[in-house]
Amino acid sequence: MSTETDPHPAAERIVPADSLPFWSASGTVFWLEMRQRLRARGWYILLGVWLVVLALIFVLASAFLGASDNEGPVLFDMVVGFVLFFGLLVAPGLSANAVNGDRAAGTLAILQVTLLTPGQLLVGKWMASWAGSLAFLVVSCPFIFWSLALGGVRAGEAFVSLGMLALELGLVAAIGVGVSALANRPLFSIVVTYMLVAMLTMGTLIVFGLTMPLVSERTTVTMSYQVQTGAELLDETTIPDPADFECVTDTYIQDVPRTERTAWLLAANPFVVVADAVPYARDRQGPTSLGGQFEQPGVMEAISQGVRTMQAGPDNDVTCEEIGVAPDLEGQPPIWPLGVALQSLLAGGLLLLGRKKLTTPAARLAPGTRIA
Amino acid sequence: MTCVIGSTYDQRTWGIVVDGVARKFGSVQAIRHIDFVAPPGEVTALIGPNGSGKTTLMLILASLLAPDSGKVRVGGFDPVAETAAVRRSVGWMPDTLGFWESLTTLEVLTTLGALYGMHPDQRLRRSQELLETVNLAEYSGQPARVLSRGQQQRLSLARALIHDPQVLLLDEPASGLDPGSRVELRTLLRNLAAGGKTVVVSSHVLSELDEIADRAVFVSRGESVKSQTIDEAGSQIRRYCVQAEPMSALAEALISHGVRFEERNDSRRTEYQVELAGTAEAAWLLRTLVLADVVVTAFAPAGGALEETYMSLETDRR
Repeated sequence: MSTETDPHPAAERIVPADSLPFWSASGTVFWLEMRQRLRARGWYILLGVWLVVLALIFVLASAFLGASDNEGPVLFDMVVGFVLFFGLLVAPGLSANAVNGDRAAGTLAILQVTLLTPGQLLVGKWMASWAGSLAFLVVSCPFIFWSLALGGVRAGEAFVSLGMLALELGLVAAIGVGVSALANRPLFSIVVTYMLVAMLTMGTLIVFGLTMPLVSERTTVTMSYQVQTGAELLDETTIPDPADFECVTDTYIQDVPRTERTAWLLAANPFVVVADAVPYARDRQGPTSLGGQFEQPGVMEAISQGVRTMQAGPDNDVTCEEIGVAPDLEGQPPIWPLGVALQSLLAGGLLLLGRKKLTTPAARLAPGTRIA
Repeated sequence: MTCVIGSTYDQRTWGIVVDGVARKFGSVQAIRHIDFVAPPGEVTALIGPNGSGKTTLMLILASLLAPDSGKVRVGGFDPVAETAAVRRSVGWMPDTLGFWESLTTLEVLTTLGALYGMHPDQRLRRSQELLETVNLAEYSGQPARVLSRGQQQRLSLARALIHDPQVLLLDEPASGLDPGSRVELRTLLRNLAAGGKTVVVSSHVLSELDEIADRAVFVSRGESVKSQTIDEAGSQIRRYCVQAEPMSALAEALISHGVRFEERNDSRRTEYQVELAGTAEAAWLLRTLVLADVVVTAFAPAGGALEETYMSLETDRR
C-alpha cells in the first residue's frame, strides 16, 4: 500500500452519480451474472447433456416415424414439446438461486450498498437467468429446423413456437428470481420454484379435472349416429355403401360438464400457452370423416385442439348433418393471452414481493438470516 | 496523534453521529443503546467482544439495516431517509468475505465502480490505482478465487475505497493479514484520516488499534459503555510486566518502595505485574529499580492501552 496521502490525485475527484440509469445498472448486473455463468463449467455440461438427450430423442423418433408421410409436423411438435418440458426443468435451476445464492456467498450486500436499486438488481438477475435458459433453446434450434426441413410445417409456425418457448422460459426465470429473493435458502427456493412450475403444468390439469363435477349440469342431449342397416356382414373386401347407413337421433337427459366455464384454468399451463399460440394450418379433414385421409396431429396441436374443444363446451345438439364434421373450433378465442397474463401476474407479483424484501435499510429480517 | 478537529467539527456535513440507537432481531436485542461519534480526520475504533453489536452497528451505518429507534447521521445524512446520499459517501468493508469468484480482481473493482455511476475510463484508472495501493497489481488478471485470505481482505478494502468515500467503515479489516500488510493497512488508514476521511474500524485485535486509532468506543452487550481517546487511554492506570535476574532482588526492591505486585506464571517465564498510573510513574519505577541495582530484563506494559480499558470493562461486568 502506498504512502501517498490520497490514493487518488485531487485533480480528478471521484463524484459518484446521484442515481444510476435503470438499464445501465441492470446491464451491469446482467454482465456480472453472465460472466460468472460463462466462466463456470456447469452450464456447458448441462448444455451438452441437453444436446445429447434431444439428439437421441430426435433420432429415435424420426426412425420410428420414418415411414409415415406426416413426419415433419409430428417431429416438429415433439421437439417443441420436449424443449418446453426440459426448459421448464432447467429454467428454475438457473434462476431460483440468483439472489439468495449471492446472499449465501456474501456478495449480495456488496451490491446493496452501492447505488443499485432492488428493482435494477432483480431485472438484471432475471435477464441473466433468462439468457442462460435461452441458450438451451438455441442448442435445440438445429432439431427444430431439421424437422421444419422435413416439410409439412410452415416457417411461421416454427418462429411462433420458438418465440413462445422463449417467452415461457422468461416467465419461469422471473418466477425463479422472484422466489429466490423471497426465500432465504437456495435449496428451498429451487424446490418452491419447481413446485410452482408443477402447479402450472400439472396442477392446472388436476384442478380442471376435479372441477368437472362442479360444473356438470343435467341437460337434454340430442345425439345422432349412423346405424348400418344392411343385414350382410362386412368383410375386408367390401367397401361399405353409404346408402346402407341410416341416421338415428336419440334424445336423453344426462349430466354434461360445462367445460367452457373452467377451460380458462388450463390457460395457465405452459404447454397450453405454447400450443395455443401457434397458428396451425395443415390440410386435414375431420378425424372421423369416412374415406378421408386421417393424419394424427402432433402433440402440441393435439393439446391446442383439446383445449379449444374444452373452451367450446359440449355440443348438446348433434344433428344428422353434423355427423363426422369436426366441430368448428376456429371460432373459439385464443386462450394463450390469458395464460400469459396469469403467468405474468404470478411472476410479476413474486418479483414485486422480492423487491420489497431486498429494499434496504431493512426494517425486518426473517429469523436466522444475516444481511451480510 | 493528530486529533484536534473533534471539538470544532460540524455534524451536519461530516463524520458519523449515532445517538441512542437500538435494534432488535426478533426477540434478540442486538443493540440496546449505542451513542457514538466518529469525527472526520480521525480513525475511530469500535471495540467489543463477539456478539456485542459491532457488526450490527456497522450494518446500520452502511444503510443496510434500519435502526428501531435513535438517530443516525452518516456524513450528515440519515441512512433511512437519504439512503442514496449515504451510499455515495460510505465505503463499507464487511466482515464476511464475499467475492464473485470467477471475476478477475480488476473486474471486481470496475464492476463496483460502474455501480457507483463512475465513468468507464475513470473506474478503470481508479481500479488499477487501488490494486497498486493494496499490492495486488500483479493479480489484476487473476480470478478472485486464487487469492489467499489476506489478499482477498486487501481486495475487499480496495472495493470499499473504489468511489473515494468520505466515510470508511471497516469491519475487522486486519484479520487474516500478514504483519507486513498490517503495517501497510495502518499507514493507509492513517493517510486516509489525514486526508479528512472519517474512518471507523472494528476489531478485537486491540494491540493493533492502539497504533491506528485516535479514539475508541467500547461496546458491550449492545451498549456503548465507554468512549475515550487513545491519549486518555495512555494516561490511565495500566499494568506493567517486570522481570529481573534474579526475581528475588526485584521483589525486595518493590516491597521496599511500597509497590504492590502480583506474581504471574501464565507466560513462559515468571513475571511480576504492577499497576502504575501513567507513563511518568512507570519511568520513575524503572529508574528506581535500575538505581537499586536490580538487573531488570524486561519492563513493559502488560497490554495495549485499549486492551487495558477493555479488560477493565470486562471485569466490571463480572
